[in-house]
Amino acid sequence: MNNFNTTFRLTAVAAAMLAAYGSAFAEDDDLKQLTEPDSSISVGAGYWSNDRPQQGIFDGMRDDHGYALIDADVVKRDDATGTWFKFKGEGLGLESRKFSAEVQQQGNMGGFMSYSRIPRESPLEIRSGIRGVGSERMTVSGSGANVLPFHDVDLATYRDLIHVGFSKNLLKDVDLKLSFKNEEKNGSRHWGMGSAALFVAEPIDSTTQQLDVTLEYTGEKLQLAGGYAGSWYNNKNDLVLASVQGVSNPREDSRSPNTTPLSLPLDNEAHQFFLNAGYSFTPSTRGMLKVSRSVATQDETIPSIGLTGVNAPFAGAPHKLDGEIVTSLVELGLSSRPTSKLSLNANLRYHDVDDNTPLFGFVGNNTTRVATVHNTPHSYETKSGKVEASYLLPERFKLIGGVDFKDQDRSAPKFHDERFVPFAESIEETTYRLQLRRSMSETVNGSVAFLHSVREGSVRALPHEPSTLRDGGSIYDAINPLHIADRTRNKWRMSLDWAPVEAFSMQFNVEDSRDDYQREDGRPFGLKDGQATLVSVDARYAFSDKWQITGWASHDVTTAEQLSGRWARNTSSSIPNMLKRADLEDQGDSVGLGLRGAVTSKLSIGADVQWTRTQSSYDEDTSAARTASEIPLADIESTLTRVSMFARYAIRKNADVQLDLIHERWKTDDWTWSFANGSNYVYGTTTDGTVVSNKPKQTANFIGARYIYKFQ
Amino acid sequence: MKSLGKALRVCAFAVLAGSLFPALTATAAEKEAPKDIVLTGDAKCTTCHDENDSPEALRIGKTKHGTVADKRTPGCTNCHGESEKHVKEAGRGSGPTPPVDVGFTKKNFSSAEAQNASCLNCHQGSTRIFWQNSTHARRDVTCASCHSIHDGHDKVREAKSQPEVCSNCHKEQRAQFARPSHHPVPEGQMSCSSCHNVHGDNPSQLVKSSVNDTCYSCHMEKRGPFVHNHQPVSEDCAICHNPHGTNIANLLKARAPYLCQECHSHDSHPSSLAGLPTDRTGNSLPHTVGRGCVNCHTNIHGSNSTVNNATAGRFRR
Repeated sequence: MNNFNTTFRLTAVAAAMLAAYGSAFAEDDDLKQLTEPDSSISVGAGYWSNDRPQQGIFDGMRDDHGYALIDADVVKRDDATGTWFKFKGEGLGLESRKFSAEVQQQGNMGGFMSYSRIPRESPLEIRSGIRGVGSERMTVSGSGANVLPFHDVDLATYRDLIHVGFSKNLLKDVDLKLSFKNEEKNGSRHWGMGSAALFVAEPIDSTTQQLDVTLEYTGEKLQLAGGYAGSWYNNKNDLVLASVQGVSNPREDSRSPNTTPLSLPLDNEAHQFFLNAGYSFTPSTRGMLKVSRSVATQDETIPSIGLTGVNAPFAGAPHKLDGEIVTSLVELGLSSRPTSKLSLNANLRYHDVDDNTPLFGFVGNNTTRVATVHNTPHSYETKSGKVEASYLLPERFKLIGGVDFKDQDRSAPKFHDERFVPFAESIEETTYRLQLRRSMSETVNGSVAFLHSVREGSVRALPHEPSTLRDGGSIYDAINPLHIADRTRNKWRMSLDWAPVEAFSMQFNVEDSRDDYQREDGRPFGLKDGQATLVSVDARYAFSDKWQITGWASHDVTTAEQLSGRWARNTSSSIPNMLKRADLEDQGDSVGLGLRGAVTSKLSIGADVQWTRTQSSYDEDTSAARTASEIPLADIESTLTRVSMFARYAIRKNADVQLDLIHERWKTDDWTWSFANGSNYVYGTTTDGTVVSNKPKQTANFIGARYIYKFQ
Repeated sequence: MKSLGKALRVCAFAVLAGSLFPALTATAAEKEAPKDIVLTGDAKCTTCHDENDSPEALRIGKTKHGTVADKRTPGCTNCHGESEKHVKEAGRGSGPTPPVDVGFTKKNFSSAEAQNASCLNCHQGSTRIFWQNSTHARRDVTCASCHSIHDGHDKVREAKSQPEVCSNCHKEQRAQFARPSHHPVPEGQMSCSSCHNVHGDNPSQLVKSSVNDTCYSCHMEKRGPFVHNHQPVSEDCAICHNPHGTNIANLLKARAPYLCQECHSHDSHPSSLAGLPTDRTGNSLPHTVGRGCVNCHTNIHGSNSTVNNATAGRFRR
């Protein structure tokens, strides 16, 4: 009893103290939860039931096995000094892992280091006899006794990026920022032998580096940012020598010797100095200036210059290209709001890409060994500008009108004999914009915009016509390349945001763009017109504070009408033996649905459905009958359906467990890697024999479980 | 034992009384001068908007704006204005509460210029120098349209969740990223801001001054200059590629040979009719199957070959 009394009295005292301090501690805890950075570490495991060649290209979970699911987001702050300590890791158990660490005393200095790996695994199944993939010497399987043992070739590339950065506040309003990136690219990608359709893989092992040093001044009226940006590309390989086992040359003519040298990108680098400036003359008037100059060079010794025999260098060909491109940019901008309702923007821009690479003859006739083909520098000097005004109307409507113009001078290859496509030596484009929009309203916002642009090429440099045509016409000059062709573009865009009540909102969006590629006399071929249309709807509805559903759907169609001709080799007539009019169409339909809800205070669930169907069609009319083997291309349809669900249960205040389920289905009838009869594509007519295919149906299920620990 | 218990009770009372006294006496003083909760000077607001009224507002403490050791960190009124009318009249009378001077929500809105000016007071420098000339600024996009200022995990600043924010407006790009061939944005390996400086005024609000310079950041092997340059490559990668996504492998806008025949009108095989070979014997014209024209013109982005005129200049080597 005595014990009871003592215990009771002491407990009573404790309760009294708790009454005084307990709520304060609880309040402190609540406040801390609200105001201090959150951290979490998540550890778990997942399993995919099947390979996912198409959907697993980038996500590091291509194959059917288990995966460690490890993520971390640790954020701590020393409140006394304002110093942040951050560590973030995503997919640490996957091929696509990334992590970063950062220490920053806010307002003073900081540094970070990050690492990321981006895998890109080819979705194709390749079975080949090729030897030496990944190296500079590859041997393609021959025929008969020269067939090499076949094996699976898994093409994949990996980018491993390390990024370090440092920033320091040097003086009041003056900051220094340093950034250095080193990316190692490794692996091989799909390539070709060059002279015939034979399978070869390009080794891409290389290093790219980027250094940025920026000094910034951020004053009340004046802001400056200037510095240096350097970038370097270093290819670990510079020339591939590919051969076909047991044959004298891949195409059995002298143009394609065995071994065949295949060039690779050579080392290059670029150095840029830049200055960006902005000055606020008044709170509503601001001027801007951008100036930069960069020099990009490529002067590595050309490796094929060292070859001998039929591959020996041509007379006068230099050992190096001495490539140099100087890019200059000057831009002036002005924005002003002369009245509370009127805003004005103007911009003038000069962008000059000047290829200063000297001209040399590099290759030519194999018999005479005279170099007749030169390198092809291209320069572009672009002057552009825009003027725009917007005026605020009643009911928060705003009318915006503007004009953009672009005037570009372009260099054409100097030697007429080396031009195979018509060139435009200048292009002018003017674009007019008009928009009526309503924004910042509580219930209904939206806009209607119209764009009209006209592009014209004023001067054309004619291409060379290799064959002398009897009729004096032209085949090579009969086309208007899509990027320089005269074009009229009309584009509409309408969007509407409707939020009648807090719990419900909808968005409607319609876009339609039409391009008319005007025909020039004598140049009937190329794109005739194009159209792109998009319709989308988004909606969100919150049943309650705890339950919400979202959904969206979009439908888009892109079409292009193209006219081209077909001629026999070395024809003497400019009249094609077949006219081809193709109606190309790509269509996409997508639907997304999402549900998020809290079943209890401890259990939350969610589900997402994504369905996407893409269709491509290639309707083509011909003026002459097709032969039996000229079978029109079939349409292609691909469908992705993905249903994912999760349930998250709070086992403690600071710990959750989560279960994830995904069902994924990919289906395609893509014939890209098929013969006309639907069988898998096989490289080579008698040699090689590499078989390439894609899996038309890919279904996989995922189950994953995680333990999530949360702390501050 | 009795005296021990008494002594404990006396001590406890003394501690309790001693503790409560200053707390009780302080109450009156605190009422006169409310204490800040997160930011310097926030008591003006948090007297009403405390953890019970507006817990989401206090979450500013989780962000860089809540780091008070950094003397540049703003208080509530630096962003929302002094809002004297709101402070004076809120909760008094039956009428609606007057809005704060600078509001960032639809219910409590200010003009886009006023909202952005509030942020640009501190953030006008660095990559935002040209904000006023950007398309976003000229279309009334506000900082708060994309950023959740009071949230420690601002969606738009995280690669995985950023596209969700951008696709609130950019529906065309959302549809394109759902295509079979796309940059790894849906997978979270890249984000929209890998290529776009949404605060800048470069064409298409790219991070660099041109499309090609932006692409070269990651695809530097395409930069050249090459011995044999393919003209459209040196001009604009987007002539042939749609970087957001397409139905054709390698982000191509159209399939070979159609894509190539948009520029090339030639005799012989370049003008061939699109079609699949019937079998291996038809492989001499592999311009549609597999990689199409690029089966042979394999170095289509540019070649450094000095070998053989019929092949090198046409990107076969």
